[in-house]
Amino acid sequence: MSSIGRPRAWVLALLLFTLHFLLHIGFSFGRGAPDLLTLALLLLAREISIGRAGLTGFVFGLCEDALSVLAFGANSIAMTLIGIAGAATRDLFVGDSRAFLISYVFIGKLTRDLIHWIAVGEGLRQPFVEQVVIEGGIAALYLAVIGVVVAEVWGVGRDLA
Amino acid sequence: MAPYDNESDSNGRGRDLLVAGIVLVMALSTSFLAEPRQQRISAALQVSVLRPFIATQERLEQSRIGAAEADSLMALVDSLSSRLSTQSALRDENRNLRALLQIAERAGPEYLPATLLRPGTPGSESMFLVDRGARDGLVEGSPVVSAHGLVGVVREVRERNSVGIDWSHPEFRASAMLADGLVYGLVENRRGAFREEDRLLLNGIPFNEPVAPASLVVTSGLGGIYPRGIPIGRLDALADQEGTWRKSFWLVPMVHPGAATHVLVLRGGGAGDVTEVWIADSPSGDSIATEGDGR
Repeated sequence: MSSIGRPRAWVLALLLFTLHFLLHIGFSFGRGAPDLLTLALLLLAREISIGRAGLTGFVFGLCEDALSVLAFGANSIAMTLIGIAGAATRDLFVGDSRAFLISYVFIGKLTRDLIHWIAVGEGLRQPFVEQVVIEGGIAALYLAVIGVVVAEVWGVGRDLA
Repeated sequence: MAPYDNESDSNGRGRDLLVAGIVLVMALSTSFLAEPRQQRISAALQVSVLRPFIATQERLEQSRIGAAEADSLMALVDSLSSRLSTQSALRDENRNLRALLQIAERAGPEYLPATLLRPGTPGSESMFLVDRGARDGLVEGSPVVSAHGLVGVVREVRERNSVGIDWSHPEFRASAMLADGLVYGLVENRRGAFREEDRLLLNGIPFNEPVAPASLVVTSGLGGIYPRGIPIGRLDALADQEGTWRKSFWLVPMVHPGAATHVLVLRGGGAGDVTEVWIADSPSGDSIATEGDGR
């Protein structure tokens, strides 16, 4: 996954942020719409520092928590951790391939759902297999596909095989 | 991979990790905030960053509700239109029946109330079925009239019902005269390019006889089919003239055959004078309205 440059990464993140809330809140698509907020954070985290990635994740998570009545903070925790972890992967993986992009987005989304499942608390969460493994797995795969599409459109990793 | 720029040195790295740690603590602490504070944060975000998205949802929802209401209102309008149109037909029928009742009272028992049915099959244009037959006293040639005037004549009588032709039939003929009885002629059908163009023609009027525009034309009683005085139509435009001895006029019919449903059928022959039946309220006959009037 090659760099797309910080300014472009911020613009892309802003676009995905807007599109995410437009689809989820504005058009009420619910689960039919992909989790573009996580995708924005994952792509942005590869371009900025750990602190900024964590802060961005925290802000993104707070925005989602604003609409969550019973589990306020769960999204903030999940997104902050994903932002920090995403930025940290720069030191661990160079990630110049489409396979890395798919794996990165897939694992990132799955991890986000896992953290959220844990943070939500016992009273509100559904069974692990149902929510994290099945629903989370499908959502992660869906987001990975969307990630590839966005990468193609936005020029992320265009020079890759 | 993008370089770290200024953050690549160890101090910068340390600060970065410190920021990340602080943010992480903040994130973890949000779950433990008091509920009113959580609600204040939520409300602040909802009226700021998330406001456009929530507003979009509200507008879309209003549009959906508006569309549903429009469908509901349209259904209501359709229902009302349907009801009104039915009532309009009933009102017309009621008016026709009342008029027919008045005529029937004046005409006497020889005029039998009947209902016309139109087969509506190809080749049956200008023909109708009458729900009265020989057992009711009908004979071939019995005139069929409505409250406004002459509809047609019975051509075939069966035991329980009859078959007749209206004035739009090519074989329709009626000896006629102007209501004042001074000018006589023969009323016949003239086919148009299509059925709606069929017209009545008053033919054989002496060229030098003066005729007033829109004069009422009634049956003359000659020929023994139709009694004298049944309104047929009103003079319209000059249709034709031959030399200086004959002229003909188009007529505006008193009865539109398609609209005639409830009628009176004269039992027996067509003798007598029924002028007073139709023009009892107006000796001049000027107040007699055609069927389309008053609609």
